[in-house]
Amino acid sequence: MGRILIVDDTMFMRTLLKNILFSGGHDIVGEAADGAEALAKYQELKPDLVTMDVVMPKMNGIEALKAIKAADPAAKVVMCTAVGQEQMVKLAVKSGARGYIVKPFQAPKVLEEVKSVLSA
Amino acid sequence: MFDEEGYRKLFVEESRENHENIVNNLLALENGDDQQAAIDEIFRSAHTLKGMSASMGFDAMEHLCHSMEDVFSLIRSGRREVTATLTDLLLTCTDAIEAMLDAIEAGETPSGEQSASLVQELQAFAEEEEGSAQETPPAAAASAGVPPEQAEEAEERPLYTLTVGVDPSSTMKDVRAMLLLQNLEEIGTIHSTTPSRELLEDGKFDGPFEILIESEAGEDALRTIASGTELSLLALSTPQSLPAASEEVRAPEPAPSEPQIPPPQVQRAAKTEKSREIKNIRVDIQRLDRMMNLVEDLVINRGRLEQIAKKHGIKEFDEALSMVGRSVSDLQNLMMGIRMMPLERIFNRLPRVVRDVANHDGKEVEFSIEGGETELDRSMMDGLSDPLLHIIRNAVNHGIETPEIRNASGKSPKGSLRLTARRDKDNVIIEIEDDGAGIDPERLRKKGVEKGLMTPEAAANATKDELVGLLFEPGFSTAETITDISGRGVGLDVVKKTIESLKGSIKVETEVGRGTKFELVLPPTMAIIDVMMVHINGMRCAIPVSNVVEVAQTRLEAIHRIGNSEAILLRDQTLPMHRLDDMFGRAEKSDTLVVLQNDGRRCCIVVDSVDGQQEVVVKPLSSIAGNCRGISGITIPGDGDVVPVLDVNTMI
Repeated sequence: MGRILIVDDTMFMRTLLKNILFSGGHDIVGEAADGAEALAKYQELKPDLVTMDVVMPKMNGIEALKAIKAADPAAKVVMCTAVGQEQMVKLAVKSGARGYIVKPFQAPKVLEEVKSVLSA
Repeated sequence: MFDEEGYRKLFVEESRENHENIVNNLLALENGDDQQAAIDEIFRSAHTLKGMSASMGFDAMEHLCHSMEDVFSLIRSGRREVTATLTDLLLTCTDAIEAMLDAIEAGETPSGEQSASLVQELQAFAEEEEGSAQETPPAAAASAGVPPEQAEEAEERPLYTLTVGVDPSSTMKDVRAMLLLQNLEEIGTIHSTTPSRELLEDGKFDGPFEILIESEAGEDALRTIASGTELSLLALSTPQSLPAASEEVRAPEPAPSEPQIPPPQVQRAAKTEKSREIKNIRVDIQRLDRMMNLVEDLVINRGRLEQIAKKHGIKEFDEALSMVGRSVSDLQNLMMGIRMMPLERIFNRLPRVVRDVANHDGKEVEFSIEGGETELDRSMMDGLSDPLLHIIRNAVNHGIETPEIRNASGKSPKGSLRLTARRDKDNVIIEIEDDGAGIDPERLRKKGVEKGLMTPEAAANATKDELVGLLFEPGFSTAETITDISGRGVGLDVVKKTIESLKGSIKVETEVGRGTKFELVLPPTMAIIDVMMVHINGMRCAIPVSNVVEVAQTRLEAIHRIGNSEAILLRDQTLPMHRLDDMFGRAEKSDTLVVLQNDGRRCCIVVDSVDGQQEVVVKPLSSIAGNCRGISGITIPGDGDVVPVLDVNTMI
């Protein structure tokens, strides 16, 4: 199971995701509320996987993804997205995102995606 | 799906912040502030609200936020203008969201009945545009000329055909396909896909698709990738040699990132940054109250320990105790600090109120807020909110004139309304100042008599201050008619009572034709106050220092009987005198007087002795004791005695 960094600007979503991932046996090593914090935490914690919200203040998820990828090309980032954001997610995939999960989160799908990205 | 209750609180809290952000940015949009930043903020907040409400299963709210997000998506891309009608509609939507949040907080699940029509209206707005602004499918033509990579040395690698199906329930099958192709490219070279890669990545496919890939990674690696989330590998053909013609059917590489998405906003208004900083402090209010109670107990017990120490005089013990004392003081100060909240929290909803009232009355108002960062104990925030709202409404409704009248009297058509807050030594001062018509003392004079609040003689001699004071009398309202905006059955008398219950005071200055200014003076915190300890008729009692004018010695001859009560002539001033026999029992003869004041009126009480001044924690009387007239609470000084705190307000 993986060491995961959760990035989302709302504590609500972070808590939700944390509980889902925790129930799947993952280890939540850190949380970040915006892109800049995500980059700093990534470099500090070196997690196995990052869940990254797309829409965030200061530095959005795509920029944070790019920054993390620039710092560590092998970084595994899963985008957290919502219906209607296909274009954003495609941009993220082109920038190196390894997967995506869709809000509202369904625990089995989240765990499946995280597992499949971790094992790849 | 999950333990909903556990998240409800957090959900409501964060949703309210996002809701407020939308409202404030809508108003900023209307004021012509930084448009792009405001639009981005609204979009982001609507999006966040949508995601959160969907997770909680509040469908009505999700749909509404989704529709708002759609509209703002169009505005963001410049395909829709923000009009006044749209702003109104969006503000109505935010009202609906607020109502839903209220319902959610109360443990209900909001129904979609009220919001359904709003969703329809929003959709109508969004669809209106759809026909005229057809978006070309992104990146359709961009990739034609990309040169094939690694074509030459690929000849001897094994070639596979994968048939893959995407789970029909997948929310973004296009992205899923794209991820698959991208992952496959990491271990091989994709030669072709059926349907074409472009169609796949646009989601224009039904059912399974085929991928022709050249890879040395082996079947297992391909299987792993092709059976990832929401994918099923339906078939994998055995290795074959690369067909000679493959290069012609080779799918183009994905074009480098296309500029379909506007560059994300990195810099945001400083204001937003600030509100974000506040967000990070999140403590359950009830826990804070409990902590405060514990700190108060500590303060009380420290006092007891000090008295014990005094009795025994052990040096080491004294030293240790003084260290404990210092920590307790620090802790107490810290707790007080934590309980403080910036006034912004209640100021933020006011611009919306001003806008609504002004629109309703056909007035133009420039509303400015200063000093929103001034802090006040959170227990006072709740009580302050309604009085402020009332005064602000009044100012727009009754104070500021219509543009025509203002023009006629040589003023600028746009009225000004200023709300300022500042910390002044021991008090927080909040001022609400308008440049409207002011209040005519002559009208107050007439009305005071009409309402039976003053005799005609008293009215004729009344000073301006006395006349203005009438405003705070129950049942007095200067407005000719009661409007649905400010006249909600609550008068300034209620405002005054509320402010006084917060241990504050309210003052009004007005000048005809120039405007009116309300001044609220509030202590920054209520829990700990300075009191004067006195003995009355042999019993201890505490009087808030803020109510004490002076301590005086008097001769018994100066006391006069007037009817049933007594009065005393003190330096040319006649003061009513109370002995508080009914509260504390019969007095011994004493010549010490404490002069008390509340709201400009004075009286004096007889006390046996004045023991000194001290900072104490005032605890409310428990519900068992009920309301006790004349006593605002009790305090427990160091010796463990229970001492009542006089409520001077009810005495005068």
